[in-house]
Amino acid sequence: MTAVIPPSKSRQLRACLLCGLIQSSNDFRFNGCPNCEDILQLKDSADRVMTCTSTYFEGMIAGIDPENSWVLRWQRTSKYVRGMYAVRVRGRVPEDVEAELESRGIKYRPRDLSLDQD
Amino acid sequence: MSDVEDHGYDNYDQEGDERHEENEEDVENDDTNDEPPRRKLYEDDDDEDEEEEEEEQTGRKEKKRAKHRHKRDRAARFLDIEAEVSDEDEEEEDDEEYGVDGFIETGGAEDDDSSRRHHARLARRQMEEEEKSPEQIARDLNQRYGGRAAVRYTGDMNEIPQRLLMPSVHDASLWQVRVKPGREREIVFSLMRKSIDLEYTARPLQILSAFQRDSLPGMIYVEARSSQQVSQAVNGLVGVYPSRGIHLVPIEEMASLLQIKKQDTTVTPGTWVRIRRGQYAGDLAQVVDITENGEEVGLKFIPRIDLTPRDDGGDKKRKKTAGMRPPQRLFNFEEVVKVYGRNYVSKRGPAFVFQGDTFKDGFIEKDFKINALILEDVNPTLDEITQFSRRQDGLEENMVDLSIIAEASRKAAISVLQPGDHVEVFEGESAGVHGIVEEIAQDVVTISPVGVELEGQKVELPARSVRKRFKPGDHVKVMTGKNADETGLVVSVTDNVVTFLSDMSMQEVSVFSKDLREAAEVGSGTNVVGDYELHDLVQLDLQTVGVIFKTERDSFRVLDQNGQVRMVQPHQISMRRDSNRAIATDSEGHELRVNDNMKEVDGEGRKGRVLHIHQSFHAFLHNRDITENGGVFVTRARSLVSLAPKGNPLKLAPGADLSKMNPAIQPQGGMVGSGMGRGPRDRHIGASVLVIKGPHKGYQGTIKDTNGQVARVELNTGNKLISIDKSKLYRKLANGKTEPLDAPSFNRGPRNGNMDPPLSLPNGNRNSNPYAAAGGRTPGWGGGRTPNPHANSSATPAWNSSSRTPNPYAGSATPAWNASSRTPNPYAGGQTPAWSASSRTPNPYASGGATPGRNHSASSGGWGGATPGRNTSWGGDGWKSPERSGWGSDVWNAPTPAASAATPAASAPTPAAFAPTPGAYAYSSSMSAPTPGVVPNTPGVMDYEDSAREPYSPPDDWLLDDRIAPHQTKLRVFIQGSVMPPYLDGAYEDRTAVVVGTTRVRENFEQTAFLRFDDDGEERSILSRYIKPVLPKSQDEAALVICGRRKGEMVRIRQKPDSQETIEMVVVESIGSAGAAYWECQKDHMCAVVG
Repeated sequence: MTAVIPPSKSRQLRACLLCGLIQSSNDFRFNGCPNCEDILQLKDSADRVMTCTSTYFEGMIAGIDPENSWVLRWQRTSKYVRGMYAVRVRGRVPEDVEAELESRGIKYRPRDLSLDQD
Repeated sequence: MSDVEDHGYDNYDQEGDERHEENEEDVENDDTNDEPPRRKLYEDDDDEDEEEEEEEQTGRKEKKRAKHRHKRDRAARFLDIEAEVSDEDEEEEDDEEYGVDGFIETGGAEDDDSSRRHHARLARRQMEEEEKSPEQIARDLNQRYGGRAAVRYTGDMNEIPQRLLMPSVHDASLWQVRVKPGREREIVFSLMRKSIDLEYTARPLQILSAFQRDSLPGMIYVEARSSQQVSQAVNGLVGVYPSRGIHLVPIEEMASLLQIKKQDTTVTPGTWVRIRRGQYAGDLAQVVDITENGEEVGLKFIPRIDLTPRDDGGDKKRKKTAGMRPPQRLFNFEEVVKVYGRNYVSKRGPAFVFQGDTFKDGFIEKDFKINALILEDVNPTLDEITQFSRRQDGLEENMVDLSIIAEASRKAAISVLQPGDHVEVFEGESAGVHGIVEEIAQDVVTISPVGVELEGQKVELPARSVRKRFKPGDHVKVMTGKNADETGLVVSVTDNVVTFLSDMSMQEVSVFSKDLREAAEVGSGTNVVGDYELHDLVQLDLQTVGVIFKTERDSFRVLDQNGQVRMVQPHQISMRRDSNRAIATDSEGHELRVNDNMKEVDGEGRKGRVLHIHQSFHAFLHNRDITENGGVFVTRARSLVSLAPKGNPLKLAPGADLSKMNPAIQPQGGMVGSGMGRGPRDRHIGASVLVIKGPHKGYQGTIKDTNGQVARVELNTGNKLISIDKSKLYRKLANGKTEPLDAPSFNRGPRNGNMDPPLSLPNGNRNSNPYAAAGGRTPGWGGGRTPNPHANSSATPAWNSSSRTPNPYAGSATPAWNASSRTPNPYAGGQTPAWSASSRTPNPYASGGATPGRNHSASSGGWGGATPGRNTSWGGDGWKSPERSGWGSDVWNAPTPAASAATPAASAPTPAAFAPTPGAYAYSSSMSAPTPGVVPNTPGVMDYEDSAREPYSPPDDWLLDDRIAPHQTKLRVFIQGSVMPPYLDGAYEDRTAVVVGTTRVRENFEQTAFLRFDDDGEERSILSRYIKPVLPKSQDEAALVICGRRKGEMVRIRQKPDSQETIEMVVVESIGSAGAAYWECQKDHMCAVVG
């Protein structure tokens, strides 16, 4: 499955704080994040989109073949949909999402490269 | 994988998996579509199993739909009615509606219609799996489906440490591709879309990923198995430069490409930022709060409210664009209300709302996007910060808010710490401890404290909580900021603000301690002040130039050409002079240029590199080893000798015609370095020519310019300039004949006749070194039979004009000089032995230089007529007379008759007749300008230009004249005019005295001088207006010039004055600094001196 590839010149590009997927804010609002929708529940919630995605990202990856790509494995997105990903996204998900992740036993890894030391 | 986890996400699983499988299938088998029926067979079996399981497990409403589908599929198994496209629709439906699936195995791969296509492969796989061990099967299954649940956020990969994700040799490689800077993102996007577009074509892209980093402009990285795949992928994309190479990224560098992270610019409340755009662009602001995702920050800063809004209300747009932005000013409720009216401002709690902005404590508080802010290099100045802190609230008015300043200097402080720095801890548990920095590791400094308890231990501290420590008395240097390079002595330290007394300006300067360093040196590191730089040659006043040898904060030290050191401010410098092209002559007659390494032949024998040459006479040199005056010293060019042997005199001037450089006719013997920087003018320029070939054949014209072999010819007809090869031109001679342009001929024209032998002359003629030419050592001169003056006069307009004249003298054995000089008589003797004799004299300039001058005046017609006496003596046998030949050796024997000849002239009734004389001298002075010793005499003569022999009576305060005063105690004076009206009963009238001293008195008082009278030794003061100079009377008497340009110069009378006339001209010799020079001076322009 492939995420919607936004037009590259769009100013409204946002990156998902959880998986780093880049979409336009409208796409996030209409379709949610194809990877993280069940947790973030972005669909139809502009607020949610604002808090769980960020315009402050850097480095764009064209994830063409995530399953076989080392780049996407390194980014821990190889199991996700094809699409554009950010190398780095600034910011953390809201606390309720962190709590949700914790309750599911998922380790939260912010995408701002702050945990790369290990 | 557990049930729970799977719950509800299978729609993603399915789709992802399907897509994945489809891909594989596509790759494997491009003609899948040919065999759908066979596939269905397999599919049905699966479907049935699946269906049952599904029903059992879930029992949800999807069941119904599933069943419905199932049925449809059953029918479809016999009918291949579904078009390929419909798959997509179905898939989407699935996505939306299939929520739950219990088992992994049934998770979606087996979902009915959408999975049809890979059943063929599944069958194959089943076959294979039957041969596998159960463990193997289990593992495979895990591998295959384990990840499927991941198309939803499971974070299962989050547990893996990053290091285990390092690339291995089995991974595809990264390839660096050069792209147009600024288009990296677009290209990555294009690759993404291209790969999707080409996915189902015969030639899908085989790259796995591509990415771009903002910190690596101009390149993208593509993940692929081979560079060929990369070039295939990027082929056709605009802005990609595969031709610049597709480089393999070494495996160990792959990870770091993705790890690059900009220096973290974390924003925390209290951080200083600057606003990037808009009305507040560049303004400092402080962060108040930050939104959760860190995208927006609340800022507090000083508002700019327009308190003088224009009245043209409605036209908001114009108002915004036009005009300046209002100044920074704290929000003041009353002010704003007064201007805008009460309705526009509302109060909400402690804050005001005005025009949609919130104002609190006078500051505006506003949210900004983080990328509308400048986070790095904010460098708030102390002024800006105090503006904030002072206005923070009324209570802390005078307190400089520590935390604010500390914060401001904190970040920078980390980077400016050096091992060995003396620091103190100002926060945290060890606050107050001070010590010396031992080592710095990122943000942690290790200090060895100096103190009682902790002595000897080493303490690790965050770098941000230490600051440099200075104490009064330290000598410090400012490292950054507007006071950079200032040094001084610390006078006080308040927290991290250090106040020191500048070494240079002697003023107190306050700076942050982070910007300081202890330093021993004094002075500024800068070499540039204003527009001037160290070692510039600058004009100080009309007569004085100097070289900057030291720069200070806002002034220079300059060594002038007299060797004096001056302190100058930039505004006192009138201009910078360029001496790059200046040339002088060294002691061996060689050329001397800027940047030559030279050595003094006399004096201290200093060596140095020539920085500048001034008027071909003074040379400024620089030698690092000399400490005095920063290694700069000034000396006469004539006393220098080159350290290196002079190079090839055949140095080719740019644009020079090789044919002119024929060695056979090169000057020999000492004409070193005569090749000039400027190429000689092409001798063909100005020639009248005839075009003999090409479309313009038959046209006549004049060569205006040449460039190598191409000449630009102005045609006589049509006023047209054409460029044409020289070989197509023939010279047109005055007699109507033509000849090749380069034909060697003596009869060619005025110039060539003149410059015989012609080819060497461009060199000699344009030599900047008149000595060499004047010395007549060039064979060219010998052969030329042309007397000396030609060399010099080559620069005079007369020469040019004569050279351009048509050729009436062609073939004449007499040099063209005669012609141009237009004086028939005296210079007909150009070939007389007298001339050659004088040209060989050591001081050829005295004669050679002066001669054309006289000649010049002669041509003006004034000379011959006005001074008949002189005329006869010169024009007649003067040149052949023994006195004349003696000129060079004993110059001032010769002028005697001349001077005396002047005497009758002076008494001539027509003063106008005299005017040409100074003219003549003036001319000679300009001619001989480079000759020291001769130069000084001429201006002196020129002094008489206007004063033309009128008795001179010095002003009352002549003793106090700036140039006379230094010599005043030697002056011999007498008293005159004290009889009528009586002054001191006229007792001192006519008595001579020596000046003891005088100083200027205040206004309204009569000036006096203290004199000692010769006869009785009485000393008393006398009113200055009665004091007159004693005129020198005898030969060899010393005198001081008291009038004219050479006022203040000591001279010695070299000619016995033979009349009582005070206006008599006598020959004097300058003594002292100006060097020996002879000149004529009117007697009453001098004052006799003692001794």
